[in-house]
Amino acid sequence: MSAPPKTAVILCTCSGIISERINWTEVQALLAGHPSKPQFLVDELACGVDNLDHLTEWLIREKPARVVVAACSPREHETTFRQLLRAAGINPWYLQLVNVREQVAWVTEDPAAATAKAARLLHAALNRVQRHEPLSERSVPVRTDVAVIGSGPAGMQAALTLARAGRQVTLIEKEPVIGGLPVRFEELFPNLECGPCLLEPVMGELLHGHASANVNLLTLAEVTGVTGSFGNWTLSVRRKPRYINPDLCIGCMICAEVCPGRRPNRWNGSGEIAAVAVPFAGTLPNLPHIDAAACLRLNGEECGVCLAECPVEGSLYFADQERDCTIQAGAIIIASGAVEKRELPAAFAGSADVHTAYTFERLLAMNGPSGGELVKADGTVPKSLAIVQCAGSLDSSEADYCSGVCCRAAAKYAHLAAGKAEGISVTRLIREQSFPGVDAGRQFHQDHSTVVRYGAFADLSVTGSDAGREIAISGGAPVPADMIVLCRPVIPGDGTAACAALLELDRDEAGFIAPLHSLSGSCEAALKGIYLAGSCRGPGDIRDAFATGTAAAGLALSDLVVGRDLVIDPQVAVVDAATCAGCKTCVQLCPYKAISWNATDKVAEISDMLCRGCGVCVAACPSGAITGRGFSREMLRAELEGVLS
Amino acid sequence: MSCQTLPSEQGAATTCGAATAGSLKVVAFLCNWCSYAGADKAGSNQLPVPPELSVIRVMCSGRVEPPLILEAFRSGADGVMVLACHPGDCHYKEGNLRAFCRAELLQQLVPQLGIDPARFRFDYVSAAEAEKFSRITHEFVEQVRLIKI
Repeated sequence: MSAPPKTAVILCTCSGIISERINWTEVQALLAGHPSKPQFLVDELACGVDNLDHLTEWLIREKPARVVVAACSPREHETTFRQLLRAAGINPWYLQLVNVREQVAWVTEDPAAATAKAARLLHAALNRVQRHEPLSERSVPVRTDVAVIGSGPAGMQAALTLARAGRQVTLIEKEPVIGGLPVRFEELFPNLECGPCLLEPVMGELLHGHASANVNLLTLAEVTGVTGSFGNWTLSVRRKPRYINPDLCIGCMICAEVCPGRRPNRWNGSGEIAAVAVPFAGTLPNLPHIDAAACLRLNGEECGVCLAECPVEGSLYFADQERDCTIQAGAIIIASGAVEKRELPAAFAGSADVHTAYTFERLLAMNGPSGGELVKADGTVPKSLAIVQCAGSLDSSEADYCSGVCCRAAAKYAHLAAGKAEGISVTRLIREQSFPGVDAGRQFHQDHSTVVRYGAFADLSVTGSDAGREIAISGGAPVPADMIVLCRPVIPGDGTAACAALLELDRDEAGFIAPLHSLSGSCEAALKGIYLAGSCRGPGDIRDAFATGTAAAGLALSDLVVGRDLVIDPQVAVVDAATCAGCKTCVQLCPYKAISWNATDKVAEISDMLCRGCGVCVAACPSGAITGRGFSREMLRAELEGVLS
Repeated sequence: MSCQTLPSEQGAATTCGAATAGSLKVVAFLCNWCSYAGADKAGSNQLPVPPELSVIRVMCSGRVEPPLILEAFRSGADGVMVLACHPGDCHYKEGNLRAFCRAELLQQLVPQLGIDPARFRFDYVSAAEAEKFSRITHEFVEQVRLIKI
């Protein structure tokens, strides 16, 4: 057996704190027989700036191949001592640090026992460090541009924050318009600010502001595939045809006025709009779009009414085609939002003047189906309004959780309804209620509606009709309900589900995208380079959307810095392809999707960019084909033999 | 005498002067983020930890494969602990749950190998639970001591 590499051992006294319990002279005597023939140096305070200089000189002079430092916790000074080795021209991963302060000197009263334990742990470290391999950090160039999926408040805020910082942003929106949900709401809780007025400047800056040149907006676009990893993502995007040339159209909307085609207005949840139209007045970008299913001309009929009236030839572009394009980005921000559960339970389905929160918002909006008038389907003003909160939330049969926004929305509805229909009686039916925050507290105190508590949503039923209609509550007085608003559970939309599926992201029990950490990492996914903004993370309001949009952009900015390569920690897991049996056990286990299956060679492969070095796969590999760098089998066994010898 | 440890199947391991002959040998695998931090905190709070306990730091409790624990017993450990982050608190999301499943299997396996299952313990220690770390390490070492007698 060849002689073990020359090993230097630095014994820190920590200004006497360690040496008060541990006798370093005795430890040296106990370890003198170790085959590595360690060379010792006792230092008063190894982490001190001057001491580090002296230690560097000593190491340069002695030229050891391995270094063991007995000092404080690696959680405190491992980086310091790795730097020491680097300064002395020794590979930093030839270091083993022994925690004799926190885990020996401070917890062992008897100096003899402390000295014996320190010697035992040092013996193990001397064994272990012989097995260390030189490692080096790998640098890879990263893209600094970002793809943002979803152009609601969260996505817009993320895109703008990045664009202002000079980053190139691709903003991908599946709708023909931007702004998400609140741009369709007249007033926003808790302070009854005008939604479009708040969002108009944001949308304007995005489309026409100083930083807008940095934003590539793709409307009617959906992500169909994602490959790559942190720093180098490739997104496949499918763009549906708008049938409008955005470079020519001036947005006069004459086409929409003359179009004979009709389609249901899904943005209002009721009524119809023309085949060529905007969903509602004031949309941005200020361009109509054509619904191919409703357009007579696109269905082979002899219609050209819009073409005849359009003042700019070529604006209407019937030859438009579905197109696939590829987007490159260093990071992806998912801001795909949430929706309300639209299906209604049998007790309410099919009845007139039963709204969900969303359709009621549209009813209240100036650009909604009634021009902002609070009217029933028959055009009359309702005598009473029953707002059912927790209508499916906090309910194990629908959504187990609180949807978080309904209480404040309901108090807003009560206030606005009272202003729009004089003398209307408003009842809020609640199971629980919460108005967190100072301004929402004001909203709570100013609410004049009658509040009725009910037990279970399934126990509510509707009796009577028109002005005599009531909601019956088991065990309570009936509530007048000429018009009904159901605050249905906030659930992840199709877009959020699709993003999670494409990127194989974990979802929580409700289907929202699971964050890296529920408290300290709520704006990033477990998959590195994927950030989360807005209510794809769970039910949230517009304030959360703006805040988390800023946060996600900030994370992307700090992780992807222009001119700074990505430095990859070498302490990752690596697969030995020759030993890998191809069982795929590890592929399923990795919490970071860092392990992929190479179908050609039938082996597992680990991306060092995604691996975080936990070693779960190392422990699970039945063939022993995976090595956890820095914590290899050989290292741990050498350490184990050392402490047990 | 050489300090080098021989594989145990070749006979009794030789020991160097660093080992305390005849004393109890207890190994604890601690995850870096919770239980190792809890052990550090025990130090900061000057709470006693049994001198017989030898800590081996791993990044995640999920890194500890059952054969490593069996090898510890074969190499002369009187007791082996694996300490993890509490469920839901794993720095690596779910490594502690993998460790839990492996520990459940080990508890069933070790009696078949003639090892008292009370010589193995899996538990959770958070970065704040210095007192718990001090308490359970003492409990375990005493439990193992009684078994050895």
